[in-house]
Amino acid sequence: MRLRRPRTASAPPAAPPVLCRWDLDKTYLRSEFDTLRSLLRTAFEKAEDKVDVPGVAELIKGLKAAGERHARDTRVVFVSASPPQIGSAIRKKLALDGVPYDGIVFKDQLAHIRRGKLRNLREHVGFKLAELLRGRVDAPVEARELLFGDDVGVQRVDERVGFPVVAGRLGPERLAPVLRRVHVDPRLADEVLALAPRAVAGDVVVRIFINLERRSPPAAFRLFGPRVVPTFNYFQTAVVLAADGYVDPEDVARVARVLIDGAGYTGRRLANSLDDLVRRGHLSVAAADAMARPLAAVSILTPALTPPSRWRRALLAVRRRVGRSGRRSEQTALSPLAGPLDYDAILDRLAPTAV
Amino acid sequence: MPTIAVDAMGGDLAPDEVVKGVAQISLTTDIETVLVGDERRIQAVLEGVSYNPEHIAILHARDAIGMAEEPREAVKRKDASLLVAVRAVADGRADAVVSAGNTGACVLACAKHFRLLRGIRRAALASVFPRGREHPGQDRLALMLDVGATVRCEADELVQFAIMGNAYARRVSKVSSPAIGLLNMGSEEMKGGEALAEAHRRLRELPSINFVGNVEGNELVRGKADVIVCEGLLGNVTLKLFEGISEVLYDLTSAASERRVAWRVGLLLLARGIERLRALTDYTQYGGSPILGFEHLLIKCHGRSAAHAIGNAVKVAAKAVRDRVPAEIADTLATAR
Repeated sequence: MRLRRPRTASAPPAAPPVLCRWDLDKTYLRSEFDTLRSLLRTAFEKAEDKVDVPGVAELIKGLKAAGERHARDTRVVFVSASPPQIGSAIRKKLALDGVPYDGIVFKDQLAHIRRGKLRNLREHVGFKLAELLRGRVDAPVEARELLFGDDVGVQRVDERVGFPVVAGRLGPERLAPVLRRVHVDPRLADEVLALAPRAVAGDVVVRIFINLERRSPPAAFRLFGPRVVPTFNYFQTAVVLAADGYVDPEDVARVARVLIDGAGYTGRRLANSLDDLVRRGHLSVAAADAMARPLAAVSILTPALTPPSRWRRALLAVRRRVGRSGRRSEQTALSPLAGPLDYDAILDRLAPTAV
Repeated sequence: MPTIAVDAMGGDLAPDEVVKGVAQISLTTDIETVLVGDERRIQAVLEGVSYNPEHIAILHARDAIGMAEEPREAVKRKDASLLVAVRAVADGRADAVVSAGNTGACVLACAKHFRLLRGIRRAALASVFPRGREHPGQDRLALMLDVGATVRCEADELVQFAIMGNAYARRVSKVSSPAIGLLNMGSEEMKGGEALAEAHRRLRELPSINFVGNVEGNELVRGKADVIVCEGLLGNVTLKLFEGISEVLYDLTSAASERRVAWRVGLLLLARGIERLRALTDYTQYGGSPILGFEHLLIKCHGRSAAHAIGNAVKVAAKAVRDRVPAEIADTLATAR
């Protein structure tokens, strides 16, 4: 099922529609592909046995709920490189988790086998690009996009190439050599090149969240600009989304609660996660403080460090007043659209040895 | 889970290796760490490696103590990372400190902000070193204290060092009844002067301690004692001698392999043994040395510690906190009194 432009006109929404596009494996599901055995197990796994990444289901519910609260059309679409044959288990899993979604797209692997293109089974760039562009073409022009991926294996490549394309930053004229460079199947490349001119429409991608399942160094993503936000857990993702206004603090609290109750998190681990976002420039101190207060009030968040003694706090306050120690309060979040990107450098990183 | 304050700016390879060590630990354990130092420099290193931010907090400190600085002057700088880390523990914001920085400053910073355990006169810097085993199951590392915190000692202090070493070996090395030896120039109890003779007599009479008598230099690397007690001057000289021998041995084998083909072949045949010897004398494996005698612990790493060594030190610190080493020392002291 694909996301379609609404057929009937309804009352204009208060805010532009939001398209949330999620990768499935390693972003929603804790799928294991490292060995042939784990790959087969994943393929034949029942819905009840599938494990979701902690907090992800609650975050999607939060995005939808916040959309309703603010009269903002929020749609959730999954794009998966898994074959449609496992679709029923995936849909059942999403139903079990109570996750509302508007579409799910699978990769037709059987078609590649029939064509004898076995290499395409592991090549997802063309497929993902085509789906992202198709989704863009079908979506309302004013729709903003939030993309959710991960840092595992080949999927990084399509996110790094595909997302800037969808964002309208890499024109179609530059796309053909890129597709050749990352060995996209010629048939899919033609499809992508046909879709690209119709899809390019300015800065529609607001954020690209990368779930750091493999704990890749966040610095590796700096090249892609501040709109790309690598996150270590879904609490961090929720906090950035809240700062951008796509979810509310109550939705963040629900994600945090799930992590604490079901995934062994502590208030301190969450507080450390919050501080990490501030240090990496994805969240301003003011936004972090605004988020921390209500969460601390309901005992979800405990300070990363126990506050210093009373006299030391007083001393720090005096120092702040005289301007000697204001480094934390000076920190602001980087604008997601700040600065031009060096696409040549990005392309060099993507396939340095490819012709 | 214990919280370990890590002096990110201390050591020859700081902050890079210190931060990397903490990053490694954050991925493999649940130990909470607080990196203390220049926040911007720490963050720059952190973002370039794999880490788990859920286990890492950063406490900014704008100053750092150099390895060659005069300790007494250095500890007057309140904003130095070492001092900030030690204060964080004293304030109850963390449970122990790890530092690869200036040893003298570490000892003085502890003396300045930590209280000595009741009945303890002087703190001791302990160190582990490799030795042979006399019986199966014996730990391959022995503990020696003091190795530099208290240069000259009286009998009273040597007895207290024995009690502290006993507690540390019991809790951290899991030796149920550690053999305690007194480093001396002969096996006879009257050897070594008045302080050593007096210490020998008193240790022999302590029921809570498994005292095995004097240990001579040539017995250090055998398995006679699990804990070697000595004054700081002697301990420090001995420790540096071990390090020197290890380095010379490695240099000699490298030089020999370059001279003659026959020697190279011989060394190749011995390669596994040499590598084992090297691993045995590799200080990075041991996870640092504790400063004992205070209500809180500071684990002092070698100044040239790389990430792996820092990570091991953090693990040792967490283990010592979990196993309540200072409380064990206090209990043993109370019993001895």
